[in-house]
Amino acid sequence: MDTSGYIALTRQTGLLKEMQTVANNIANISTSGFRREGVVFAEAVQALDAEGGGIAMTTARGRFTDALSGSMTQTGGVFDLAIDGPGFFMVETPLGERLTRAGTFTPNGEGDLVTMTGYRVLDSGGAPIFIPPDAGNIGVSEDGTMSANGKLLAQIGIFEVENPQMMLREDGVMFLSETEALPAENSRVKQGFVEGSNVNPVIEIARMIEVQRAYELGQNLLDAEDKRIRTSIKTLGQS
Amino acid sequence: MNALKIAATGMAAQQMRVEVISNNLANMNTTAYNARRAEFSDLHYQQIQRAGTISASDGSVLPAGVQLGMGVRPSAVAMDVSQGAVKQTGGPLDVAIEGAGYLEISLPSGGTAYTRDGALKLTGDGQVVTSDGYPIVPDITIPDDARDISINANGEVYAYFSGQVDAQLLGQLTLAGFTNEKGLEAIGGNLYIETAASGSARVGEAGIDGLGNFRQGYLEQSSVDAVREITELIEAQRGYELNAKVITAADQMLGATTQIR
Repeated sequence: MDTSGYIALTRQTGLLKEMQTVANNIANISTSGFRREGVVFAEAVQALDAEGGGIAMTTARGRFTDALSGSMTQTGGVFDLAIDGPGFFMVETPLGERLTRAGTFTPNGEGDLVTMTGYRVLDSGGAPIFIPPDAGNIGVSEDGTMSANGKLLAQIGIFEVENPQMMLREDGVMFLSETEALPAENSRVKQGFVEGSNVNPVIEIARMIEVQRAYELGQNLLDAEDKRIRTSIKTLGQS
Repeated sequence: MNALKIAATGMAAQQMRVEVISNNLANMNTTAYNARRAEFSDLHYQQIQRAGTISASDGSVLPAGVQLGMGVRPSAVAMDVSQGAVKQTGGPLDVAIEGAGYLEISLPSGGTAYTRDGALKLTGDGQVVTSDGYPIVPDITIPDDARDISINANGEVYAYFSGQVDAQLLGQLTLAGFTNEKGLEAIGGNLYIETAASGSARVGEAGIDGLGNFRQGYLEQSSVDAVREITELIEAQRGYELNAKVITAADQMLGATTQIR
């Protein structure tokens, strides 16, 4: 008898989760290299004894990361690098190698090129990139070759993964790929640019309204269900 | 309800961005001021359903799982170390640094600070000091009978005396370079102190080892670009409003929840 209430509840829980992803996307509207995420819902069907019947519950089953590039902002910074194409930078974190598109780098006190969270950026061979303290006129070409005063310094590693939508997300705009990252072919590095967040406020607000209204609809259903049960109890009690 | 807290982190981030922008705009005419930029990164993720979980007895696995982000945090307020425009002042003790490097200043507390503000002055004793009266390192004293002062690109300070043809070398200004200028800690008054992140100062002669040159009679202006700051301000304001909208929507959803009974 309570099934309809439970079905509505699964929907409500899922909508709350979706609201959370919308809130997270909007909160990260200014996070460089951020990729918006979405939740995929799936049916969980349970057959009933009654003929031809079945109830479908909904559950948040999957998540996707929107691989669309964010807009590029010119900063003019020497170590501000953006990737035009599907590639990623490789950084070394205490938990292992991670991919990122947030290209605001800087040399640390020891001269190694690091991210704003302090993790070392790796070159195409997987080694940290050392910037000599007296290096001037640092240029980065489109293929990631870094030079100082016309002399080769390092080759910044740009990697691609087979299925970027399915990467695991970590804090600090890092991604963990389950498949091996391969050297990128169709990506170009742009020096002096930073890639912004790919969150589109219009889409997010539209989604938010949709989620909110669907939630209210669910609540109305629960409300109606509550009334129905109450009425039946009342009516049955009177007889 | 997490959406409320997440949107709150977004609002806090945008508010911090506005604070950084307003400080940049306030320092539009500060000599040798470097514009700052707020950088953000996402917070940790809540694992609802781990990718790779076995979903059926035949061994099929979930390809993506469910991860929910928990908002945003400021990761850095980075200094834009690009050089500001250079303005001619004609002052004999105004020096702009063309290229990398900082002047070394000795603080009254005994510590050392660094600055790119080359609007130097003289004390009553003829000592070369900053606008705040802190002596520069190495110490240079200009005799009071000097007729004119000349500072060349390498920082050598010469004084001309009446009745003498040749200039007299009084000393040489040095520059301090840092591996990571963004790691310097600003202490106000256009001064910076070194930190573990900046690396230790490499003091050297101007024009050597990647250090810049001196330009007498010029001052470096603030590197704040008004157009960029205003566009950033608009973005920050709209971002703030968007996050506020999320809070309103989440609140209404909570309201709908409390209404069923």
